[in-house]
Amino acid sequence: MAGELIGSILSLIVLVGLGTAGVLTVLIWKKNRVARVTFLRFVIQAVGLAALFFLFSLEPSIPLLYVLITWFTVTLFLGRFFCGWICPFAFIMDIESLIRKTLKIRHRLLPDKLNIALHKGRYLILAVFLLLPLALWLLNPPPNTASAVMMAQLLAGPFRPYSIIIDPLIPFVVPWTGQLVLGSVNLSYPYIGNILTFVEATPGQIFAVVFVAVTLIGAFFVRRVWCRFCPAGASIAALNKFKAFKGVPLLYIEKDEEKCPKCGVCKRVCPVQVNDVYEQKGGKIGTSQCMLCARCVEMCPYEDTLKIKFGNKPVFKSRNWLESSIVNEERKIE
Amino acid sequence: MNKNETVERRYLPEISRKEIDELKNTVKVSSQKIIADNIERMKKADPHRPDAMKYFDDIANLFGRRQQEIQAEKEKGKKVIGYLCLFAPTELISAADAIPIRVNSGWYDTSKLGDRVVPVEVCPVIRSTIGAKMIELSPFLEQSDALISVLTCDGMTKLSEILSDQKTIWGMNVPRIKDSTQSLRFWSDEIRHMKTQIETFTGNKITRNSLKEAITVSHRATKVFRRLQELRKGNPVIMGRDAMLVNQAYTWDDKKRWTEKTEALCDELEKRVQQKDWVCNSDTPRVMLTGTPMFWPDSWKLPTLVEEGNPQGIIVADEQCSGERILSDPIGVDEWSMDDMLNAISERYLMASTCPCFTSKDGNEDRINWLLNKVKEWNVQGVIYYVIRGCMLYAMEYSRVKKALDKINVPVYYLDTEYTREDVGQLKTRVEAFMELLNARVDF
Ligand code: SF4
Ligand code: SF4
Repeated sequence: MAGELIGSILSLIVLVGLGTAGVLTVLIWKKNRVARVTFLRFVIQAVGLAALFFLFSLEPSIPLLYVLITWFTVTLFLGRFFCGWICPFAFIMDIESLIRKTLKIRHRLLPDKLNIALHKGRYLILAVFLLLPLALWLLNPPPNTASAVMMAQLLAGPFRPYSIIIDPLIPFVVPWTGQLVLGSVNLSYPYIGNILTFVEATPGQIFAVVFVAVTLIGAFFVRRVWCRFCPAGASIAALNKFKAFKGVPLLYIEKDEEKCPKCGVCKRVCPVQVNDVYEQKGGKIGTSQCMLCARCVEMCPYEDTLKIKFGNKPVFKSRNWLESSIVNEERKIE
Repeated sequence: MNKNETVERRYLPEISRKEIDELKNTVKVSSQKIIADNIERMKKADPHRPDAMKYFDDIANLFGRRQQEIQAEKEKGKKVIGYLCLFAPTELISAADAIPIRVNSGWYDTSKLGDRVVPVEVCPVIRSTIGAKMIELSPFLEQSDALISVLTCDGMTKLSEILSDQKTIWGMNVPRIKDSTQSLRFWSDEIRHMKTQIETFTGNKITRNSLKEAITVSHRATKVFRRLQELRKGNPVIMGRDAMLVNQAYTWDDKKRWTEKTEALCDELEKRVQQKDWVCNSDTPRVMLTGTPMFWPDSWKLPTLVEEGNPQGIIVADEQCSGERILSDPIGVDEWSMDDMLNAISERYLMASTCPCFTSKDGNEDRINWLLNKVKEWNVQGVIYYVIRGCMLYAMEYSRVKKALDKINVPVYYLDTEYTREDVGQLKTRVEAFMELLNARVDF
């Protein structure tokens, strides 16, 4: 009952929100060249969140495995686009950044070395997560066969162990019973389900609370902190290594060497501290560290220097963002 | 706060008040004549010169309106902070409610006076600035309460030492390899240190809001600067000298007023584009200047020769720290926190600069790319590589620039000169020969 009510209120909010956001997007798109993509991204993230909510509330529910497969297929073409533009967990982090920005509190950088170590080590992190259930099972064998079967189903069932790959998909408010029910709203948080499954009752709960606190606080001060080593991101990156796409997916960033005076803006504004856009001389930027959020393209102050391309078509280029939206017609020599 | 006269001078000679006044008057009179003459010639070159240029002609008089304005502000208690090099973060100065002003000297006559302190092999810009200080010629140099000197080349490094005989000097150490994290870290420390220094000196705190305001003012200026350069891309609507004067005036004018006036100029020029009202034939060779800075007024020697030559050329772009480099890069602020603004300022001044004092593992490749891009976008047909004798860094980078431009088949001409008017005749021949060559290529 309450759930349904919440559902309809939510959809109302989403609708109204989207309407306003739409109008705002148009306005901001026109007025402010250094915020337009960031803003659009917020809107798309919100839409993504709503879409996921309704996807999860479908009856009969869609098996997570299908979600996973679809997701991976899309990934093959779009790379980490998902991370930049849809992921609800990232949305939470971006909202935190927005609050921090409004409060004019400065952000912290991870040391470059650590950032790169995390980036390189994320496959290891992914493997550890994937093998964790097995390890836990071996360490703490179930007392009898019946519970052993249960455990086995739980851990090695159709999707459980790799649910950590898509756990960032789980938004704050969920249609099913989440880990926390507040006034009949079901709240959830990425990875909490996994933690509670793997770790026993009380320590598990403590661990879960600590996890939530640490990630929330971390993301407040360090932009997109989880994305640096996220298992979901890692699995996407691993997929993109397939040679069919020569390591670079269909959607990518390209840089014009001659137009870039190496001003360094792209390096500073990148929420996940990608250095490659700045350091690479030109051409396609191939790092899977980049989640294609396009902030660097938006902020690069030199026209046409950075481009986001889909296939061979540029979809968004860096502009002289000091200009208003009235694009002067290009002048030619007669 | 001029240093007490009794302080022992380490470099500058003692000159009697009488001699100072005499010399100052002579040079001032001749300089005013040169300014007037330059403007007269600019007017003649374009009989139907934009009305908006009137303002810049007025502000171009270094001994006129602007000097009085600054004097009035000073009397009200404002501080004036001069700078000798574009690396000085002018936004910090404005944010502390002080007036930033560039004080490099373009007077040929004073360079001879500078010879009394340093040998003639030294870059004339340096000698001339020393000479100007000796006879108290430069209004802006005299008005500055402190000077920011960035140690880019050898000349600048020692110049600040010499001027410290009579001025409060704040040196800034610029890292020579800009493309590394440790350099940037070092430089942003320098910037933060400069912030404290300015705050203490002026007694005004640089707040988040005042800095934001200063950055916004710069953004507006860069915006209109880019608009003006954009207008120079097509058929010529403005003489190169006019545009160069506008750009350079920014370094001594009031930033906000400069922006307004330049906007008016652009409006006027845009109308002319619509009416297809060009300042010269569209097949006039399009020339770009690069190399040593050309300071108003005496260094207008070369641009005048180019644009009044027979055959004539038109300057459509430059890559000089007295010209387009002043404003071409905006400060890319990501978040308006103090920290990020300061980082953005550090990066803007260090990394975006294409000054030849830098090198990196690719050498000063940024400058080459900048040049190539300009040449292509502005349809430049020939480049004049201007070097005044004594300017090592620009002279030494020439071969690389030439190779790069050869590759895209754009002729480049190495033109070396001095702070003197004596070689005008000879320069004229050289410039005109180059214009002939460009013309021949255009016809072809
Ligand atoms: S922001 Fe643009 S111009 Fe600046 S370094 Fe990056 S790509 Fe180059
Ligand atoms: S490199 Fe650019 S597109 Fe990629 S994550 Fe960083 S800011 Fe976003």
